[in-house]
Amino acid sequence: MPVSLNYIVKRLFWSILVLIGVIVFSYLVIILSPGDPATKWAGNPRGVNATLAIEAARRELGLDKPLHIQVFEFLVKVFTGNLGTSIAYKQPVFTILYSNLAATLELLFCSYVIVLPIGIFLGVYSALHRDELIDDVLQTFGTVTANTPAFWLAAIVFLMLVSSGHPVYGRIDTRLALETGFQPMTGLYLLDSVLQGNMVVFVDVLIKLIPPALIVGVYPLGLSIRLSRTLMAESLTEDFVRAAVAWGVRKRRIIWKYAFRASIPPLVQVSGLAFAYSLIDAMVVEYAVFGREGLGRLLVDALNYSDFKLAIGLLIIVTVFYLVINTLADLIQALIDPRVRL
Amino acid sequence: MQGSSSDKLDISVAVRNVQKTLRSGTGIIALIIRTWRRSHRFKIGLLISLFIVIIGVLAPFLAPYPRDGLGYVPEDALLKIRLPPSQEHLFGTDTRGRDIFSRVVFGVRSALLQIFLVVSSSLLIGLFMGVLAAYYKGIVETVINYLIELFMSIPAIVIALALRLVLGSGLLTVVLALIITWWSWYGRVTYIYSRSIVEMDYVLLAKLSGVSGLKIILRHVVRNASPPVLVQAVTDLGSVLLEASAINFLGLGLPPDSPEWGVIMQEGIQYLSISPWISVFPGVFILVTALGFSLIGDSLREEVDPKLRRRWRLWF
Amino acid sequence: MVLAVKAENLKIGYEDEEIVWAVKGVSFKVEVAEIFCLVGESGCGKSTTGNAIVGILPPYSITDGVLRVFGKTVIEGNKRDYTGVRGRVVSYVPQNPGSSLNPYLTVEEQFYYVLNSVYGWGRRKALEEAAKYLKMVDLDPGRVMDYYPHELSGGMQQRTAIALALSTGAKIIVADEPTSALDAHLRLGLIRLLTRLRDTIKLTLIFITHDLLSAGKICDKIAIMYSGRILELGPSGKILTEPLHPYTEMLVDAVPILGVLKPLKAYGGEPPPPNVEVKGCLFLDRCPKKFEKCYQSHPSPEEVHERIVECWRYV
Repeated sequence: MPVSLNYIVKRLFWSILVLIGVIVFSYLVIILSPGDPATKWAGNPRGVNATLAIEAARRELGLDKPLHIQVFEFLVKVFTGNLGTSIAYKQPVFTILYSNLAATLELLFCSYVIVLPIGIFLGVYSALHRDELIDDVLQTFGTVTANTPAFWLAAIVFLMLVSSGHPVYGRIDTRLALETGFQPMTGLYLLDSVLQGNMVVFVDVLIKLIPPALIVGVYPLGLSIRLSRTLMAESLTEDFVRAAVAWGVRKRRIIWKYAFRASIPPLVQVSGLAFAYSLIDAMVVEYAVFGREGLGRLLVDALNYSDFKLAIGLLIIVTVFYLVINTLADLIQALIDPRVRL
Repeated sequence: MQGSSSDKLDISVAVRNVQKTLRSGTGIIALIIRTWRRSHRFKIGLLISLFIVIIGVLAPFLAPYPRDGLGYVPEDALLKIRLPPSQEHLFGTDTRGRDIFSRVVFGVRSALLQIFLVVSSSLLIGLFMGVLAAYYKGIVETVINYLIELFMSIPAIVIALALRLVLGSGLLTVVLALIITWWSWYGRVTYIYSRSIVEMDYVLLAKLSGVSGLKIILRHVVRNASPPVLVQAVTDLGSVLLEASAINFLGLGLPPDSPEWGVIMQEGIQYLSISPWISVFPGVFILVTALGFSLIGDSLREEVDPKLRRRWRLWF
Repeated sequence: MVLAVKAENLKIGYEDEEIVWAVKGVSFKVEVAEIFCLVGESGCGKSTTGNAIVGILPPYSITDGVLRVFGKTVIEGNKRDYTGVRGRVVSYVPQNPGSSLNPYLTVEEQFYYVLNSVYGWGRRKALEEAAKYLKMVDLDPGRVMDYYPHELSGGMQQRTAIALALSTGAKIIVADEPTSALDAHLRLGLIRLLTRLRDTIKLTLIFITHDLLSAGKICDKIAIMYSGRILELGPSGKILTEPLHPYTEMLVDAVPILGVLKPLKAYGGEPPPPNVEVKGCLFLDRCPKKFEKCYQSHPSPEEVHERIVECWRYV
């Protein structure tokens, strides 16, 4: 379906509505689920200060006001970045989310940057050698990887690393960082270490990044291989490809400038979806198996501390991520499609 | 050709004809037989899935330590903590001394229960909502579409987290979290399909003659849209398993000690380098089960798609 | 003297669960600067034959027999080799020219890619040539070159595609149903342009069509195809006025011819599908003049008054 400027604007508007819906939904979960909302919001406190904490939570939630006012105030709070103070960390939820988001994004980005081009290229190659052995191998690879639990694969890889004597744990060697005077600036340690000229830390971060990045990338790799192969095979049947062949256009050109070019729009869109989905895989794998900070760690901590505010914050930020990525994918699609004049 | 004898439109006859066509069915059995004959993947997938289901059914008989399988800790547990695989314990023992093989075998039941609950509920809800949106149009349509869009944008894991904090651990948490996310896809597909049916003449005819158009659409959608949606549902069984296991692995669903693969893996993850068997074996089962359903779904999908798809063209 | 196209018992098929032959053995010669028409109902194999000449048979195709283009053997048995032939020697005007343009490239780029591939020219030379051909189809290069196909009107798209097809400098142009998808005012223009090129640069034309009437008006020679074989082949004038094969008679009867007063007859029935084995003559089912020999086998080609016919009545 050709994308138009009108469509993009509509999508943006719709996404914001969805975001509002998500926030309202999370608020309703607090209010409408069994149990006292204030207690939940306060994180099920026990002990001496429990009553005080619950009272504070009651005021924070504005439970004495009518429902629609509650929801509205909550919305306003979220949009202004005020998500409350995390029970687990005793810091503003927003700050915690931000710094951990950077960690997870760094992982995701590195993973994708490597995996996507390889996957697409292999998929095109597969389409050109369709039904030959290499095609079957790659397709089987794609199917198997699509059904492999990421956390299980992570465990296997972790085991292999341990048994080979090179265990990988955590995101950075804090002692090393302190010794070499490393300062987190943007939250993206790879970038920061380069900016500070700190090659020791750079290498350390990189080494700790590669195994989880590869694991997170396995599913997108399989997906992009299968997807680009299917799209390519379809493009090759198009009328204009057939005509170009008849007119003598060279093989390499036909592959890239005609057939592949036609596959790009849907490729961008699905890659966007897969990228968003990979966030979940990353969250599951990074902390539980590799002990890295990131949104995954927040997930586990929110659970262990009954930190509702953090949980809601996570829900919102993950959804925002999804919406942003999908809208961005649509935007890119529109830009590269000459049928859209923006 | 000489001019019709009468221009009277016998509506009840027309409606009866419509109902006859709807009853003739789409031959899902025939589809399955066809796919079996033509696709190796289907055979492999079906065999794997049947194998797994049989294990699940026969769990109490297959498990050498059925009580371990259900999560109970045996009396001599303290002597048997984290033993490596051996003849008595095929997959070794876990952190509390239970036989892992038995737990994994019982885990089949848990897995199948979760995925069938999720997929069937999501399918029903999605089907219903999609048809409603297409039939009643207007506000109903907009609201339902909005809800579909909304719940497609939230990943199940974070919903599971929220539900876990609110409802505690248990089957309800994980299943509910997944249903909330998955129904929306079925809803969207059903909506798109129903939209075109609603416009059709025989629906108008049915409405005029007093037959509920809604019933007609529902039946027609079920008959004709069901092959692709059902096929997708089969593949979804595998995908849901992967997500459910992940949710349980993080502790957001079923409680510890449950006979569930994700749960067992979570228990073992801290001892990964020392006693890898605890986490590794259940994961294999997740992979194989998901693969089985996925293969069935994929091969069925190839059959349902027009056969033209098999012709491929390369011009050099 | 070299023939533009020579086919010797050419067979084209594909493998499903067993081999299905779409073209069951055709032989014909096309002279240089001749206008040759392949006429027949849908599914008779005429498009496949055309595709074989152009070089766009799908790779799952199976071939047999020989096909030569200006002396070069492009098909021999199951081997196909079109190097140096596509574009340079044979070009193709597709049935739907508008959708043959790459929607992601400007017209300029498309001309460049074609001409650069065939002749190795740089951008400037390619664009000069392109401008020539665009003018031939009554398009102003300045108004067309920088644009993407969807920015042009339907008619302009069609004309651009035709210009592209011609710009390869091919000596043979195969046009698939040139009279069906084109806008009405373009049809005549295209035919006129092609015939003019035939006169000036000795372009050989092969038209694939189901329209016997147009074929009769434009073509020098007509080959009537049915179910994968050529039932009658000869000069177009004679074929229309004195059809030999019963199928040709059937086609002529169904078509109004200016200046000839005759009743129009419609015949029912359909050609046999390609995967079905037919015992006897392929035209058996619908033939009004069959006799017992027709039930035994399909007739082989016979030369009758400077025509070639496959019918037992002439043996």
